[in-house]
Amino acid sequence: MKLELVEAINFRNLSGSIELAPGLNVIYGANAQGKSSWLEAIYLLATTKSFRTAYPREVIRHNENEAILRARIKRGNLDKEIQLLIGATTKQTFVNGKREAVTRYLGILDAIAFTADEMEIVRGSPDARRKFLDRGIFGIHPSYLGTLNEYNRVLKQKNALLREASEAENKFKYQDLIEPWNDQLISLGTEIHLARLDYVEKLNEELKPELFQAEQITVRYKSSLEGKGDLGDYSSLLAERLKLRFDNELAAGYSLLGPHRDDLEIHCDGHEISKFGSSGQQRSALLILDLAQMSVYHNNFEEYPIFLIDDLDAELDRTRIEILLNYLGDNVQTIVSTSKRSIADRYRRRARTLFVQSGQVVEDLDIVQEKVELTAGAETTELTDPANEGGPLDEAENKSGNDKHRAPF
Amino acid sequence: MHDYAEPVTKLIDEFKRLPGIGHKSAQRLAFHILRTTKEEAERLVSAILEVKDKIIFCSVCNNLTDADPCRYCASLTRDQTIICVVEEPYNLVAIEKTREYHGLYHVLHGALSPIRGIGPEELHIKNLLNRLRPDESGECSVREIILATNPNTEGEATANYLGRLLKPLGLKVTRIAMGLPVGGDLEYADEVTMHKALTNRHEI
Ligand SMILES: [Zn+2]
Repeated sequence: MKLELVEAINFRNLSGSIELAPGLNVIYGANAQGKSSWLEAIYLLATTKSFRTAYPREVIRHNENEAILRARIKRGNLDKEIQLLIGATTKQTFVNGKREAVTRYLGILDAIAFTADEMEIVRGSPDARRKFLDRGIFGIHPSYLGTLNEYNRVLKQKNALLREASEAENKFKYQDLIEPWNDQLISLGTEIHLARLDYVEKLNEELKPELFQAEQITVRYKSSLEGKGDLGDYSSLLAERLKLRFDNELAAGYSLLGPHRDDLEIHCDGHEISKFGSSGQQRSALLILDLAQMSVYHNNFEEYPIFLIDDLDAELDRTRIEILLNYLGDNVQTIVSTSKRSIADRYRRRARTLFVQSGQVVEDLDIVQEKVELTAGAETTELTDPANEGGPLDEAENKSGNDKHRAPF
Repeated sequence: MHDYAEPVTKLIDEFKRLPGIGHKSAQRLAFHILRTTKEEAERLVSAILEVKDKIIFCSVCNNLTDADPCRYCASLTRDQTIICVVEEPYNLVAIEKTREYHGLYHVLHGALSPIRGIGPEELHIKNLLNRLRPDESGECSVREIILATNPNTEGEATANYLGRLLKPLGLKVTRIAMGLPVGGDLEYADEVTMHKALTNRHEI
């Protein structure tokens, strides 16, 4: 899939549109000029969620009622146009100009993002890891999103009852009321459990730690019912545990059992990375996980999702950036943002570079200036030169190989 | 921001109380009313007052009706051995449209939803149980209950709850088939889908 054009209306401080190239795209500009906002816009178009805020209102320009994002995507020979309308409390999805349910909208543009937020997966709480798994699963099985939403709905209803029961005199009468929700919790929970197990197995097959000279990396799905009985018959086990721990749930006032309590263990040479990994190991592990997620997606659809990296140099060092971008190469459409001019310059020859100022893609006057001076024969070639191979650092790195993706400018 | 003349604001505010109507829609409706003739406006007002005056709930099945009992409950030709339980009166209308169902109905007026504070007492379950009591001759004419609540989590929980309540009474209790879109509302099911859901119902 190739994202060709993105347009933003009343979205943060962005204006106009950006055209993207099939391979690597580098969006650069000073802080607060809108480079990350363009990435956020693309991520929102793909997922309808932002990686920067949970409040849609924040992305709508001051004094406006709604923001509109549009994208043109090429899939095979098909051109598709998607549009996301963001109101303060609602989102509407459109495909080819027609209003469509979000379930028909999702999947037209799929994205994997490496953002500061994502570091939570390797160093934060289980919640971030469950979300990572779930995103991967509904990327390849769209109906899983429905299962997940229903499960969360059931959980919310059951928790409302438990909360009420925890304050009630006669807790006994709540058994009859809770059972109808538990029945659904069991059937939906089992679906989620099985889907996650299956996905973790697929991920394990695609983990390539050697890419970053990292140690052996494996992932393992850790059910919260582990050690409590036969996980092979999950629905019976969950039913049994729910019965056994009914009083505990009543006392707690919220749901204690189900896949919303599970975790994904990420092991690096036998150690759990979220507890024992160095921050470098954690970054490598996250990249390896993201790339595995991309491979699983590719195995399923025979094409790649787009890959987004926000603030490229803030999270990754030069070596990792180089390895990653070489690996993604021309096969994967990659869109990165950076505030460093030097990075933009380093990849200028093989990437489309977009200079963002006040939310808009503009000509980088410095570059224009250099070009003018170059054509005028001025002696400025030792400065960052777009027509040159790049700085001395690039030369050194090039010798170590990995240069096969250098496309003609 | 400037306000409209008070009567206009009042009308907009009234429209905003209606379900699914936000500020923009309320404004649009109010301006539509302003543009209509007085006769048209009076027709609307009298239609609203008429339903409030004449429409009542059937004391047997809770359906909307202008006569008590309603025409389904009063009919002698309908199958008295089967009751189809639905959430809302419009669900009943959808089932009637299939022209394949000839039994009786029972309208719950909602579904279980703890987050909205709706428990069994808030639904019309008690008078359903009354309908299933044996008469003087010790017989109950009802043999089957079809649970046709919506195929979403609330509808499912309601059907599940009623199933547990009704099974011990020795009745055949069935649930409509879930060929319907999951998480959906029967309101949007067409006649063919609805007919399939009814005929492929399964015993619970
Ligand atoms: Zn009636």
